[in-house]
Amino acid sequence: MAKTGMKRLEELKPEIYKCIHCKACRFAYSGEPSRKGIGEHTGKTGKSILYEGMVDSCPAGIEYGWEAFWNAGKVWIARSILSGDLEFTEEVRDVIMPCITCGQCSAQCENKIPTVDIIEALRAALVESGVPMIDKHQLVDRLVKELNNPYGGKADERFKWAKDAGLGKYVNNKEAKIGYYVGCTASYRQVEVAIATAKLFDQLGMNFTLIEEEVCCGSPFFRVGAVDTAQELMNKNLENFKHLEKVYFSCAGCYRTFTIDYPKWMPEGEKLPFKTQHAFELISSLISIPKKKKELPAEIDALKKKLKEKPDKRVEAQIKRLEAEYAKLNEFKGEIKFKPNKELKGKIVTYHDPCHTGRHFAIDMEQEMIKESKNLMFDMRLINQRIEEWFEIPRIILRKLEEDVGIKFTEMYRIKLNSMCCGAGGGVRAGYPEFSLRTASLRCDEANAINADILTTECPFCWRNLTDANEQYNHGMIVMGVLEMISKYNLLDIIEKPEF
Amino acid sequence: MSYKLPTEKDLEAMVGIVGKEYASNNKAITASYLAKSVMGLESQIPDIVVRPKYVEEIRKILVYCSQEKIAVSPVSGGLSGGFACPTIKPGGVLLDLGRMDRIIEIDEKNRYAIVEPGVTNGSLWAYMEKYHPDWAPPIADGAPPAATVMGDAIDRGFSLYTSSVGPQGDNFMAGEIVFPNGDVVRTGSWALPFAKPFYKYGLGPDMWSYLMGSQGTMGVVTKAAVKIYPHPKFKTVIAWGMSNPQDMQDLTLEVGMQEFGVAHNTVMVQGGNYPLVMARWPKDKVPHDYAFYKEMGIPEWWMNWECWAQSQEELDFVTNKINKMAEDFKANRAKDGDAMKPWVLHPKQIASRLKKPNKIAVPYSFWEAGFLFITWYTPWNECAHFAEMYNAAMEKYGFPPVMWIASIERCRQAICMPIVCFDSTKPEDFEKVQALNLETTEYGLKQGWLNYRPDPYIHVQAYYQAGMYWKYLRAFKNLVDPNGIMHPGRLALP
Repeated sequence: MAKTGMKRLEELKPEIYKCIHCKACRFAYSGEPSRKGIGEHTGKTGKSILYEGMVDSCPAGIEYGWEAFWNAGKVWIARSILSGDLEFTEEVRDVIMPCITCGQCSAQCENKIPTVDIIEALRAALVESGVPMIDKHQLVDRLVKELNNPYGGKADERFKWAKDAGLGKYVNNKEAKIGYYVGCTASYRQVEVAIATAKLFDQLGMNFTLIEEEVCCGSPFFRVGAVDTAQELMNKNLENFKHLEKVYFSCAGCYRTFTIDYPKWMPEGEKLPFKTQHAFELISSLISIPKKKKELPAEIDALKKKLKEKPDKRVEAQIKRLEAEYAKLNEFKGEIKFKPNKELKGKIVTYHDPCHTGRHFAIDMEQEMIKESKNLMFDMRLINQRIEEWFEIPRIILRKLEEDVGIKFTEMYRIKLNSMCCGAGGGVRAGYPEFSLRTASLRCDEANAINADILTTECPFCWRNLTDANEQYNHGMIVMGVLEMISKYNLLDIIEKPEF
Repeated sequence: MSYKLPTEKDLEAMVGIVGKEYASNNKAITASYLAKSVMGLESQIPDIVVRPKYVEEIRKILVYCSQEKIAVSPVSGGLSGGFACPTIKPGGVLLDLGRMDRIIEIDEKNRYAIVEPGVTNGSLWAYMEKYHPDWAPPIADGAPPAATVMGDAIDRGFSLYTSSVGPQGDNFMAGEIVFPNGDVVRTGSWALPFAKPFYKYGLGPDMWSYLMGSQGTMGVVTKAAVKIYPHPKFKTVIAWGMSNPQDMQDLTLEVGMQEFGVAHNTVMVQGGNYPLVMARWPKDKVPHDYAFYKEMGIPEWWMNWECWAQSQEELDFVTNKINKMAEDFKANRAKDGDAMKPWVLHPKQIASRLKKPNKIAVPYSFWEAGFLFITWYTPWNECAHFAEMYNAAMEKYGFPPVMWIASIERCRQAICMPIVCFDSTKPEDFEKVQALNLETTEYGLKQGWLNYRPDPYIHVQAYYQAGMYWKYLRAFKNLVDPNGIMHPGRLALP
């Protein structure tokens, strides 16, 4: 991958030129016009939305209205830059910066255009051209260079939360081969998320380390085009974490940045020296894998019976595949469930898919599988299946909470690949705070439409933005992380301790 | 004819009409309205974009631009797969009518819907599914969900039931249009102030027909009353495969000529060839040989009949009749009867074909990086000739021979749509496309075939050959748009 904005934009030219301006990218469920929904709901700002079929879901397009703020308009801006019909100016900056880079557009595109990559490359090229970043972005750029975080928090207070919560032993734990990368938002703002995650790891018996030299992952800077700053941060983190075998995350943005961005920005041929996983994947696997281990033998037996009745090469191959899967699953140790809780019983709980762990991972997975595919007509079904499995991961936890704790897990209308963004990412929360909060309020409206008591998510940035909108616009819900809920209400019940 | 290049003063005038938030000459904003593909390769960045919401605003804008001789291009959704009506030379003002997105009325008894230009297929579909589920929205089939009902009509596009009742334009009962001379006119019965828009031929000669197919060259249509039809629960799709377009054409004509009791139930009759399936995937990630598609059960050529009925009995009657006719055709009249067979569709395939609106026409950019629909009308019994000619031409120029053909009004006309998939990053590909277009246009016009969306530089030849018709068209244009500001260049008017 090219490592500068303009070169990257030129590299993306074949993708940019695929855009036919069909505008499917404006909508969630652009391919499901008859999708049954939850009817019309009037939100806190008086805006009425019909949650049926396709729904306008590009936050910048909804906010500003001009074609330029919807994705297709931005792709044609990129094309105009490449063709020399348009030059980078502050006018261009002010149009391309208020984009949350949520990826809704990419998810809707039938031509599989990597729209987020295009917008980020366009921004990087803009910065390269000498057009100054907006004031707020310049400020966070300065802050991260001085203090290793964009919040202006003191570097030596990054792990104050751990020490205050009695988890100080994990700071620079030299014995551990597993790391927990906390990220700036959970370290300096949403410390509840960090505390909850670390406590869960502690309860599960994980020997992990918090690296005191941890710096900002660089996500805001990759998104807004300050790629030099982003790469400096990346290199520091890679150096400080390189001795570890695995790193866990509790922030969707940081997880996305390490797992998807870093490998692209590292020198050609280099790979991440450690495996990455989000904490919710771990918790989910402690539910799903034991369940699958119990179910698979019966499934295999049924197929063997079928094979006895009628020989079939496909059934034979399926048995082989499942037996191999079972053998692999047997190596996995650990099982959890949740304790009942009177306070939570009967509460309507919904889940907001963070764009960075949800859609971005799904799209990245899709793009990689498309690249590898020799016959996409055949492979597309598998790709879609993998994406669906990815989105199920947090839902496994929520359904188990429903079963064991008695919450009522209820989905909003726009979910998974079609989830509506919280409004925080892409440099928008810092740069365009009112727009950011209005977007979060639209999302809270959607939770209100299903009468949610609790709006959960798995990203401290989403958590922050949704909480602020919840308060400012009086949406009347509780906003919390799923793992935060598990920790706060002491729900974790370990059946078999996992091995790490 | 010379036009004024808009200045800051003109922008101020626009701001004075619509407000600061809705008029812009920001270079990024104007560039974002470009589209060079799908319907046309010519597109120029407009000088000013204005987003009006009210009829009076549009009237003032047009009067001003007419006085100042500033070109104006109205765009409702601007779609049917890419901006169908982008600004071309001389640029000027682009009117983005997206804010005019009201569904004004659905009258079930009189069976019409009144919509503004910005009402999209998707929004009307969702609204009617929820609130008028027994009625089918008059949306475009095949155009993306963000396409508009209005744009589809003005381009005399395809509706859900075009193969039965005729093009979308025929579904329009009445409209309201703002002319650049400042007049606001309602057509049909709507011309009377207290009348419903219930009758197209209203007070006398039908003025609407001058506007339909105009692509914004006469004025700005601000409201339209469009027929709605029942949306029955009994639907299915049947298909037959064959080895050549002649059999596809002839069988379909026999069915279409049945008219009552059979063809009227076939709301969407469309077919094509296997490259229609192939070219929806990246060029280097699917086989190109027909052998692969044959093994998957995809015929070389096929025709689908989407059938709607008010009862299962009626549906069975229609589908059985078509199948019986196909068997008879195969046995007695087909060019290659041995190759003909029913294409048994999986329920998921049927569901996918019944889904409206859909993105079925969108992924042809996945093949390389760009495509053009160079669409033509022919008499139905000439569509096979068209297909053979055009496919040969596409292959000559190195493009995959992707052909889609659909019936209008029970095979009275064929809409023939070669999908020219090319690499739009390569200037030489643009040249090849233009050369293909020119060569096939010269041939097509000689056969008496018509362009669907005329390219202003190539298809304009049609007008030179229809001089008397063009004379009267220009006379009407001069009447309503004396300074020729409305999308000059389209349809070679002026």
